[in-house]
Amino acid sequence: MLVLVGAPLAAQNGGGAASRLAGRVPPAALPAIDSLIAAAVAESLPSEPLVQKALEGSAKGVPTDRLVNGVRRSLLQLREARVLVGRVMPDQQAPEAHVAAVSAALARGLAPAIVERLLTVAPNEPPGPVLHAAADLVAHRFNPDSAADLLVEAHNKGLHGMRLLDVAVAADHELQRAGGRTHADALARVRALLPNVPTAEVPPAVTRRRTKGS
Amino acid sequence: MMAMSPIDPGLQEALDGVRDPGTLPMDLREAYARLMGAANLLQTLPAVSVAARVMADIHDLKPERIRPGPRLMRWLARPRAVTLRLRPAWTLALAAGLAAILLISTQSTRSPIPGPHQGVAQFVGRFPGARSVEVVGSFNDWSRGSLHLRDENHDGIWHGAAVLPAGPHEYMFVVDGERWVPDPLAGRYVDDGFGAGGENSLLIVRPAQASLDDDATLR
Amino acid sequence: MVNDGAPSDVEVVARVLGGDGEAFGILIRRYEPGLLRFATRMLGNPDAAADAVAESLVRAYRHLAQCRDPARLRSWLYRITGNRCRSHLARRRTNDISLSEAPPLADASDSWAALERGEQVALVERALNALPAEKREAFVLKHVEGMSYEEMAAVTGARIPTLKMRVHRAREALLAALEELV
Repeated sequence: MLVLVGAPLAAQNGGGAASRLAGRVPPAALPAIDSLIAAAVAESLPSEPLVQKALEGSAKGVPTDRLVNGVRRSLLQLREARVLVGRVMPDQQAPEAHVAAVSAALARGLAPAIVERLLTVAPNEPPGPVLHAAADLVAHRFNPDSAADLLVEAHNKGLHGMRLLDVAVAADHELQRAGGRTHADALARVRALLPNVPTAEVPPAVTRRRTKGS
Repeated sequence: MMAMSPIDPGLQEALDGVRDPGTLPMDLREAYARLMGAANLLQTLPAVSVAARVMADIHDLKPERIRPGPRLMRWLARPRAVTLRLRPAWTLALAAGLAAILLISTQSTRSPIPGPHQGVAQFVGRFPGARSVEVVGSFNDWSRGSLHLRDENHDGIWHGAAVLPAGPHEYMFVVDGERWVPDPLAGRYVDDGFGAGGENSLLIVRPAQASLDDDATLR
Repeated sequence: MVNDGAPSDVEVVARVLGGDGEAFGILIRRYEPGLLRFATRMLGNPDAAADAVAESLVRAYRHLAQCRDPARLRSWLYRITGNRCRSHLARRRTNDISLSEAPPLADASDSWAALERGEQVALVERALNALPAEKREAFVLKHVEGMSYEEMAAVTGARIPTLKMRVHRAREALLAALEELV
């Protein structure tokens, strides 16, 4: 059965968040978490990552002090992300989606210098795919600078958005091949394929019959 | 933590096999013997064998169990990059059939069609003996009860699919209502930030209908 | 690595790719002892090692046509298994093996010679488990699996100078650990 999972209610402000957290977050943690979310709102940072982190920790039964620290850590990552985005886009307010995407990349362990370099390539495009592609490559032990080089080249050859994730997958596949391929070899082979790296197809999972909901 | 002192280069050469250990001073010969003795102790072979299990899994790879329709065959036949990394053998036979399951179920039930900024996420996990397996994550506000997996064959392999917004989603499996488990097939993991080494699985859902902007290259 | 009269890896691979899937059993019997030993040393857990090796062998079967040089099959199988072990370790969050998984210690006040062999193995395993994964892997491939640095490069994807450095550091750490334990 294919399930439609409705998108969670968007938290537009601290009040919206409060209604989602009530009854889910332990009462002892609520004041501190509310304060952190209010700080994010006041600083024009996206609050949804903090709401998600609070809901996650509550669902997992994380003790109150670690729950609050987890939300606080998310706020600190958002602040760091905004600084990085601000360096690349100094003439405008950092878009919340950019800040959230950069924060997610930092959470995956991508170094700030690599993040900043990749943001610079196409500052007006959604940065999520290229940052996740870089994080995938680094997680597979590719050299971060070499990984960034490959993604920059792929972008320059016309691969944007989700296609950059395909570049990371292709590099990993090259690494898995027999014959003693080093990481450098794998990147070189993918570079030679550009822009024709294999595409990850989505399954043809739907019919033409329209429905109004699940 | 103990301090390591550098090993004499002559000892390193002997251990690398480029120098006769008999030419080492006595104290280095003792160190040589100790390290080589340790290595010999580690050469004990395990008493187990995985041969029967591997051959059984290989037999399960034979294609006669599933007969995909023509549309699924075209999808399966296309070269593509798979976001999952190494997959256990038990998922291999399932993978070919999973999209078929989706096709069949969407033809027979009123299932939603992904919109322009949505995609289909597939979840599969091996939990023999489990009574229930559900997926909990950022896409359902980490709430229980909205995405249950099914084990129709009662073989311990639980699967399900959902239409989700395109983009990244963190999630975990909850087994039997109480055990939180990262998805071993996710391929991407992120520290959950709660300080106990916990990890969430990370899924990046692709739009079901790729935007023309995604790829400026014609194949 | 062929005994007299036994088919070579090249011959067996050709048979499997020609449709004789049962012939893959020859390769399993030939390589699983070393792969299991390698994986056990990497993961510190025989059950996890068995899972990793089984998954690796099935993957090798599925992708056998991609083994460009069947004469280097051994390196290829170790490479797949090493990757699988690294995936397992990455999911554990830390590359170190927790001491709760390490075998129980003998009384460290006993002299080495007085210990039973099993106790000696346990002490050495504990010292090995304390190494970071990369150094543990390098030491095991070099001194337990008996590989040359060239073959280790094929298995790990690392450059030979890097591997030599890892092996050298692993030796230093192990010697120090063994001197502490006994």
